[in-house]
Amino acid sequence: MKKLNIYFTGLSLLFGAFALSSCDGNLLETVPNDRLSESVFWKTESDVKLAVNALYTDLDDVNIISWDALTDVAHTNQSFNVQAYIELGTFDATNSKIYNEWQKAYTGVRATNYFLANADKVSFANVDLLNQYKAEARVLRAYQYIKLAGLYGDVPLVTTPITIPEAQQLIRNPVEQIWNFIEKELSESAESLPATYAAAEKGRITKGAAWGLSARASLFAGRYRKAAESAQMVIQSGTYGLYESYEKLFSYAAENNKEVLIDKQFVKDIYPNNIFQTIAPYSQKNGSSTYVPTKALADLYETNAGKNINDPASGYNEAEPYNNRDKRFQYSIFLEGDLLPSGGTYQPRPDSGTPDAIGNTYIATTTGYNIKKYINTEDFANPANSGINIILLRYAEVLLSYAEAKIELNEIDHAVLEAINLVRNGRNDVKQPSITTTDQAALRAIVRNERAVELAFEGIRLFDIRRWKIAEDILPGSVYGITYQDNNDDLVTVQVAVNKLFDKNRHYLWPIPQKERDLNSSLTQNQGW
Amino acid sequence: MKANLPYSKAFYPLFVILLSVITTWAHAQNIRITGVITDVSDQSFIPGANILIKGTQQGTTTDINGNFELSAPSNATLVVSAIGFVSQEVSVSNQSVLSIALAADTKLLEEVVVVGYGTQKKASLTNAVSQISGEDITRRPVSNIQQSFQGQMPGVTVTDLGGSPGKSNATIRVRGITTFNINSSNTSGYDLSKNDALVIVDGIEQQLSDINPDDIENVSILKDAASTAIYGSRATNGVVLITTKRAKESKVQVNYHGYYAIQKSNNVPQMMGLEAYMRHQVAAYTNAGLPVPARFSEESIQTYITTTDREKYPLPNTWFDILLRAAPQQNHSLSIAGGNDVLKTRLSVRYQDQEGVIRNFGNKIGEIRLSSDYQVSKKVKISADVNYRHNDTHSPTTNANQPLNNFFHGTLWAVPKYADGTYGLSTQGNNPLMFIEIGGQSRQRTDYLSGYVKADYEIIEGLTFSTQIAGRALFTQQKNYTNSYTNIDKNTNIVKTIANNSLTEVRDNLREYTLNNLLSYEKSIRKHNLKALVGYSQIGNTQTFLQAYRERFYNNQISSIGQGANDGTKNNNGNDAEYGLRSFFGRINYDYDGKYLFEANARYDGSSKFTGTKQYSVFPSFSAGWRISQEDFWSSLANTVNDLKVRGSWGITGNQSVGLYSYYSALTASGYTFGGTAVQGYRQSTLANTDLGWESTTQLDIGLDAAFLNRQLNLTVDYYKKITNDILLNLDIPATVGLIASPQNAGSVKNEGWELSANYRGKANNSSFRYNLGANLSYNDNEVIDLKGTGPYITGSDIDPRYIIKKGLPINTLWGYKTDGLFQTEEEITAYKATYAANTKPGDVKHIDLNGDGKIDANDMTQIGNSFPKYTFGINSDFSYKNFELNILFQGAAKVDARLAGALSEMGNQEGFTHEIFTNNYWTPENTAARFPRPVKFDLRNVTSSDRMVVDGSYLRLKNVQLAYSLPNAVIEKVKLNKVRVYFSATNLFTISKLNEWNLDPEAPSGRAVYFPQTALYTLGLNLQF
Repeated sequence: MKKLNIYFTGLSLLFGAFALSSCDGNLLETVPNDRLSESVFWKTESDVKLAVNALYTDLDDVNIISWDALTDVAHTNQSFNVQAYIELGTFDATNSKIYNEWQKAYTGVRATNYFLANADKVSFANVDLLNQYKAEARVLRAYQYIKLAGLYGDVPLVTTPITIPEAQQLIRNPVEQIWNFIEKELSESAESLPATYAAAEKGRITKGAAWGLSARASLFAGRYRKAAESAQMVIQSGTYGLYESYEKLFSYAAENNKEVLIDKQFVKDIYPNNIFQTIAPYSQKNGSSTYVPTKALADLYETNAGKNINDPASGYNEAEPYNNRDKRFQYSIFLEGDLLPSGGTYQPRPDSGTPDAIGNTYIATTTGYNIKKYINTEDFANPANSGINIILLRYAEVLLSYAEAKIELNEIDHAVLEAINLVRNGRNDVKQPSITTTDQAALRAIVRNERAVELAFEGIRLFDIRRWKIAEDILPGSVYGITYQDNNDDLVTVQVAVNKLFDKNRHYLWPIPQKERDLNSSLTQNQGW
Repeated sequence: MKANLPYSKAFYPLFVILLSVITTWAHAQNIRITGVITDVSDQSFIPGANILIKGTQQGTTTDINGNFELSAPSNATLVVSAIGFVSQEVSVSNQSVLSIALAADTKLLEEVVVVGYGTQKKASLTNAVSQISGEDITRRPVSNIQQSFQGQMPGVTVTDLGGSPGKSNATIRVRGITTFNINSSNTSGYDLSKNDALVIVDGIEQQLSDINPDDIENVSILKDAASTAIYGSRATNGVVLITTKRAKESKVQVNYHGYYAIQKSNNVPQMMGLEAYMRHQVAAYTNAGLPVPARFSEESIQTYITTTDREKYPLPNTWFDILLRAAPQQNHSLSIAGGNDVLKTRLSVRYQDQEGVIRNFGNKIGEIRLSSDYQVSKKVKISADVNYRHNDTHSPTTNANQPLNNFFHGTLWAVPKYADGTYGLSTQGNNPLMFIEIGGQSRQRTDYLSGYVKADYEIIEGLTFSTQIAGRALFTQQKNYTNSYTNIDKNTNIVKTIANNSLTEVRDNLREYTLNNLLSYEKSIRKHNLKALVGYSQIGNTQTFLQAYRERFYNNQISSIGQGANDGTKNNNGNDAEYGLRSFFGRINYDYDGKYLFEANARYDGSSKFTGTKQYSVFPSFSAGWRISQEDFWSSLANTVNDLKVRGSWGITGNQSVGLYSYYSALTASGYTFGGTAVQGYRQSTLANTDLGWESTTQLDIGLDAAFLNRQLNLTVDYYKKITNDILLNLDIPATVGLIASPQNAGSVKNEGWELSANYRGKANNSSFRYNLGANLSYNDNEVIDLKGTGPYITGSDIDPRYIIKKGLPINTLWGYKTDGLFQTEEEITAYKATYAANTKPGDVKHIDLNGDGKIDANDMTQIGNSFPKYTFGINSDFSYKNFELNILFQGAAKVDARLAGALSEMGNQEGFTHEIFTNNYWTPENTAARFPRPVKFDLRNVTSSDRMVVDGSYLRLKNVQLAYSLPNAVIEKVKLNKVRVYFSATNLFTISKLNEWNLDPEAPSGRAVYFPQTALYTLGLNLQF
């Protein structure tokens, strides 16, 4: 027995020792296999390319429509959506939409800063290629700053990857400094960027994209001279032109067409977006109708005589509001009787008995309109899996920016009218009569209207009404929808049960998010907040 | 052993005298006997002692003065027993006056408590430990073992959150909430999963949920730092120690325990009546200035009321009545145990089948456990256990809560099923019955295997080396199949199409080994008693996860992953993780004469979750006790207070609940596409934190244990204060950094409270009636005391509960507006100025402008409720009379609030279920005294996060009643059985709570109540032993 005990003790100790040594010499030094250590990266040219690729994911996409829903042209359909409070004017610095846009922009800024701080660690055989990658990153960073400046005004200008303590010391740079930075970055970057890319690289930032963004930024900044010059760089390059069809511009067939300067690229299944599900009418497999067009936008579309619907000579008939209108109306918005991707027809009247009837459910449109841009029949089969590219900057905007800048400079010439008229009738399907007036005030009104209708739901309107300072006039009050003849042949205009406020003393800029100010006491707040 | 010596000495002479008396008489004749029974230690009288004539059922009990009187044969032997004393047999031997002295039962004093890495005498315990026996656990059939802890122990708060079969959900919190995750929140507040107690089954960390209750010998819950510190970095939230049953030296014993139960949903919310609801909607639309839809025209209302055609004119919502059902649950456990001095072994098997109270939900468990003990030699003992469990859960393919969500939301006016078998659809295209029946099937099978080998070697007397090597493996296989189908509502032509069938298949494997080496030493020298322990432990854990997706199968019956479309839609994903824990620990117990008690523990823990100097940390604890009742000066009081001990402890424990690799600076894959083709991308996404360290909790405990009335009444009181520092938080960092923050050590939380438990064991004069009354009460005060200058953290919105984590408030405090009734007149509104919404009208809620700035906004919000109970209590009583036993358990909580959300709070303003509570009780110009405000369709003005949505969640509940009957011995002997016991029990019989009027369970998580409901069980059970 004694012997057995000794054996046994030996055995058990051996057993324990075995478990100790063989399994787990490095018990506490586990290394993850699902991520890449920083220490092995930034060695090869390929690393730099992979890193610049990832920067594109920070571009905006479907969310650009949400900005239109904060203006007069669209409405957030569900009253309990966080951003409905912004539309109503009953929001404050704690609103999560305000925070999320801020956070998203600075996430993009960080990514580009990190890239730019590390890219030079790799030596390239072809230095031009490294410079191109860096220029792509700088343009993508400028893209984020244009948004930040437009939404919040003065913001911290961060150009290096910063630590938490550094972030807690940041102060807001005057917005003019931000615009200066953007202007310089875009001009410099344009030098290093190619005019076009091979098919497999379509979607990368081009020289034209840098100038186009520069035109947008300068216009937003009120720097009309620079805006006109930058736009002119794009126009002169001859690389870009309008796509032949406005109706098809947002379809799969038109992807990567010559009108697109910047887009966020998607591929079904691989890198999809959910635009169909987000904005499609409710009847389309429970489309969310998250944002819906308003009467305010509908009324901005001219008649095909080129006149405002309020003009007695316009030929507008209230009882048949969809007839004789600017074609862009029906190409941008689902109107009663339109064919739907499902094969059915769009019937939004409250009494239509279809899923799209106003009041059928809180998800169905409340105005009787739905957004048609980007709704492609191809996406109906799988509504949350859309591969359509979302256009972030296109040639028509550059033309209108050029025109607006020149009008504001009061340098109205043939080129200005040509730019406007190209947008109005330079395609095969939109044929609005040409503008001939050279009156500055008249042209200003025309170009503003043109931007509203041409670029509806493309994320531009919010920035435009802020810089034009017209929000205080067009936003307050109710939201209205379709006008239709009821059973008594009375004309009824749908009124949505909201009452919007706009305080011109503070609503022209969003507040700096409260959470951000809690973490950094050096951040001041915008006026009125 | 030393402690009982005085008793034995005193008892010895008496025993000799009695022995001599017995031998003198030998003749039998009934004589009248009177006598007195006293406590040998102090000659005090013992009331309620039993005197039985041996071999008969005749007997009596002593009165309050210890006197008795009975008639017995002159040569009879009397069996004298009293609770807390050793029974004695006394021969009458023709004496008519007897004076019998009983000795206190020292075994009782030596009740042993399971503690970390060992056991300890209850008498010398200096820590706060609660325990319950396996018997208490099996008394109440439960679907989740945590539920059986409910109401049993002070300081242990168990909340039954419902849950579908196999996924039932109960949280167990020991002494409050010490920590939280800030970055993950849901509608029931910030994530508190880091507060789960450490569960150790037979020395090995395991999951509590699926253990067979019939295999449990006992459960100890270690509460204070002194008892838990030996588990160091994992111990902050308390430790649940489970010891499973093992065979004893005996002939083979077979036990069978089976029950059959009917489950019913505790609550069935009631929809407003048809007409009342329709008129309510008319008011809601009108108040919103919207046209009233055709359905609610007066003509239509009349049609709906009078029709008998419910296919054409359905009732608005009948889901609760249609879909909830009584569902069976059965459980069978069989064990065989026995052994001799060399080998002892126990085998147990279990089968459980539980169906859900909603169709198509169910769970089956099959399980086997084998435990063996080999006495290899006098000095060497080997134990080996193996446990295999198979769990098979099925449910409809949707989020388990989706059908429940549809009970309340998005399903109005849908015909559940037409006579032709097709389904009706709501305007949102929903029908929970359809989803449950044809939506597809999810199946999860888990195979759990655990086992260990353990050897104990007694090197010299008192010095034992023990080594245990354990492994456990959990293999989860999950198949979630979504059917493709099209259903057209034949009345409304609303179409629901699931175009593609699809399958998501998951394999999740976990493997873990544990090594425990212990060297323990025990020695007594005169009155000095010493126990010491040193140990080494390590744990290695690896986990692999694999997921695959395919869609468009030939038909819904083809469900093998390889048969789905082999194109870009297929998708797979996976990851691995591993972590390790290495620990050294030790303990010293010392006591002097059983009076002065002292204990010290320390653990040195290293974890792979941390790096550099933060990898290892020390967790010490100290405790001391003084058994005042053992002191000489106490002897005068010893009659009244039989036992009195004061004790105190202090210690530090840790929590390492932090994601893996938080310190690791890395790039993650982030792909993009150019020109229609995918490209790879890599980016930085998380800010690494190499300074990460443990959370640590410092806890102070002062306790008192006392026994009165001959130990019939036992009392334990504890006060504690625990402060948790360096909580691992994903603190908000400035968004300008542009990365996701890694956890940082920040934040402190305090929990302070007291616990009280009392137990009385009694016996009525009639000896056949015994009873045991137990009560426990605990109070916990939770407060966030530091957030490193960050916060407050607020989650939720007006439509989901808002919770706040803020310095000075308890974790997950409900947050929102205070209100002051309803506006009654336009004048009142004008005078009041601050309103929540434009166009405020009489009948709207009056929100209080707390900061007085003339507007109602987020700055006016304040604390409006407490989501974790401050008081919890239980009252447990056992009665036995002859062969009957009755157990009644009450349980409850107080100072806790629930927040209504979703359909229950919307008052019919959106498109959800509308509770009957609103019937004729909403404000109209004619009904100005109404409880609820005017309804306004699609408007949130009156349903904001305010105190109006907060309901007092305090409750008292009759948790369990069990009546059992054991067949008399005379009967069972004939069928060669040892024991036959049948019982009937019922749980959740009634509840007193303000939530009753909402048909909500008080244990419901706050929010939309869209979870699988809590159930009441009606059970018929059988125990057999042979």
